[in-house]
Amino acid sequence: MTKRIFRSICLVALAVLLAALVLIMGVLYDYFSEVQKEQLRVETTLAAQGVATSGESYFDGLETEGYRITWIQEDGTVLYDSQANHVEMENHLEREEVKEALEHGYGESVRYSDTMMERQLYSAQRLPDSSIVRVSSNQYTVVTLLLGMMQPMCIILFFAAILASLFASKVSKNIVKPMNELNLDEPLSNEGYDELSPLLRRIASQQEQLKTQEQELQKKQDEFRAITSSMTEGLILLNNKGAIISMNHAACQLFNVDDCIGDSILTVNRSRVLQELLAKAQNGERAETTIELNGSEYQLDASPVKSEDAVTGVVLLLFDVTEKVKAEQLRREFTANVSHELKTPLHTISGCAELMMNHLVKPEDMKQFTEQIYTESQRMIQLVEDIIELSHLDEGAEEMKYENVDLLILAKDNMNRLQSEADEKNVTMSLFGDETVVYGIPQLLTGIVYNLCDNAIKYNREGGKVQIEVRKEEQHAVLTVKDTGIGISAEHHNRVFERFYRVDKSHSKEVGGTGLGLSIVKHACKVHNAKLELQSVPNEGTTVMIVFPCTSSKF
Amino acid sequence: MRTRFDAQLMTLNRELIEMGALCEEAIALVADALANSDNNVIRKVVPIEEEINEKEHSIESMCLKLLLQQQPVARDLRQISAAMKMITDMKRVGVQATDIAEIISFLDGHTAEDCIEIQEMAKATIKMVTESVDAYVKCDTKLAEIVIQHDDVVDNYFDRVKNRLIEMIAQNLVDGQYALDLLMIAKYFERIGDHAANVAAWVVFSVTGEHVEV
Repeated sequence: MTKRIFRSICLVALAVLLAALVLIMGVLYDYFSEVQKEQLRVETTLAAQGVATSGESYFDGLETEGYRITWIQEDGTVLYDSQANHVEMENHLEREEVKEALEHGYGESVRYSDTMMERQLYSAQRLPDSSIVRVSSNQYTVVTLLLGMMQPMCIILFFAAILASLFASKVSKNIVKPMNELNLDEPLSNEGYDELSPLLRRIASQQEQLKTQEQELQKKQDEFRAITSSMTEGLILLNNKGAIISMNHAACQLFNVDDCIGDSILTVNRSRVLQELLAKAQNGERAETTIELNGSEYQLDASPVKSEDAVTGVVLLLFDVTEKVKAEQLRREFTANVSHELKTPLHTISGCAELMMNHLVKPEDMKQFTEQIYTESQRMIQLVEDIIELSHLDEGAEEMKYENVDLLILAKDNMNRLQSEADEKNVTMSLFGDETVVYGIPQLLTGIVYNLCDNAIKYNREGGKVQIEVRKEEQHAVLTVKDTGIGISAEHHNRVFERFYRVDKSHSKEVGGTGLGLSIVKHACKVHNAKLELQSVPNEGTTVMIVFPCTSSKF
Repeated sequence: MRTRFDAQLMTLNRELIEMGALCEEAIALVADALANSDNNVIRKVVPIEEEINEKEHSIESMCLKLLLQQQPVARDLRQISAAMKMITDMKRVGVQATDIAEIISFLDGHTAEDCIEIQEMAKATIKMVTESVDAYVKCDTKLAEIVIQHDDVVDNYFDRVKNRLIEMIAQNLVDGQYALDLLMIAKYFERIGDHAANVAAWVVFSVTGEHVEV
């Protein structure tokens, strides 16, 4: 800006200077040369008169400053010259002004010097004696004058340039200042030059456009964040180099990181499973795998993001499949257990039957064998019944009828049923408590009490005790079965309610039972919304407490 | 120019993390085989070790190329030179994991079930390796220093394993061959711990420029 202004000022100054110069040279030069010629004429006349009157003596002591006076004879021989030795000078008859003077009495001519730097004005006059006086003077040519004026002109130009630069910077500053002070946030409120208003209007409209675009973008981003942050599944977006573009809250928690946008996914998790999955996704295939994080199983789905056949990124989705995996495992275990439990008695039955068939059994042992077949088939029946009961519970107990059941009577019935077993193991059973009515399903309640008491007897020691207590509290009915048996160590507490789970697998056959008892208890409690508590100290005994809610509300 | 350099450094970083992950996997496999007898472990570990070696070569040549072409200074230089040192230690971890796997395959289905200390030692070593790689990933000097201190724990375990084995031999509970094999395994774990501590020390160097005594 400053440079341009400076340049234009300089150009103007130069142009003005040149124009002035041309004007002065053109007009004044002619005028001055006319004046000079006039003077020369007068001088010539004076010299001619002087020579005519006083002859050669006129030249003695003549001061000829600025002029050159030559006296020439009629035949052209130089008689006197004020600046050169007249003897050596050539014949002047052929000179234009001399010729002219001889002819007309007066003559003039102009001649340029060899260098064109000067020109000589000559004027000659014929004297009465036909000799000629010639006076000449030097006149500078235009070129000489111009050259002479070079120095002052340069000085002037120099000053002009300085002034121009000063002005230029000042002017440009003055022009730019209001522009710099423009408030571009509100372009239309400015009072600048009128010339700026189209620009300001365009800025204003562009700003408006930008603002709406920004708002739209922000809105979309907010929507995206709102959706992803409330997801329970982890969602991670990666670019094609594996750097994280976006990671939702759930994913951050899963991988236990705070802010990792822009980092490589490797810094979050570097397991090989994930790397292989990503490699597949980056090749444009969808892929899935399971990965273990914080003790839970997660399914990881990776799908490539494609645009124009090139993979530009990868979307990773993580969801918890712990329950599913566990359930699947349970199912597998259950099937294996059921077949195993069914197979054991069948082997005994088939073995006994085979021996009997082949008459290898002595008649006196026959009874023992048939008894064995009977007990084993009873065990199988019990097992199948238990499984059926469990599957009923699994299906839901909707079809079963709810009734008011007195727990004390129920406990007494079951005690009687188990009396023979207790006698066999020399275990004494006692029941105490109040009449407590529970609104529930009789079959299931029987299942609870029977199985608990059965276990209390089975896992008791010789001469042990089983105490059954039915108690009524304000809002609850509490059934407690306490034994003095072998107990269950703490690490098994959570698992004993699982189907077929045995604390001591090696002795299950001796003790009998199906391994499903406590599982039935647990399910029945769930149906009745009852709370199940287990306290046990190994070798001292086990207490199972079941708390039924709201005994009276369903009358 | 700088962006290209940054991209190269990122690649270097990624390769190093991948190499660290491979080491973790190798040693985890070995520790698992030690707890639950697995004669096939050698077949699983050897490919990983080969991959670790390949990674070492590729990272080494990448580092040399970067040093030559980019002439890095200050932090970049530290990062690259630390990477070159780290891969040597990581490679040793891989080699020693393979050595352990080899011994396990000679145990003929035996595990370290009689010597619970060696399993704990394996766990402690895995923790060191994992945390040293973590420290690198997160440029976490504090974690790196914890790893370096943790080396004493692993060294301690080695002494305990040794004493336990001496006891077992004295009571004629195990045969000498088995006891010696276990001792070798313990020694390898101890060495792996040292290498993990070295890696951690290089992490500290690449971040702060200071050498830590291991």
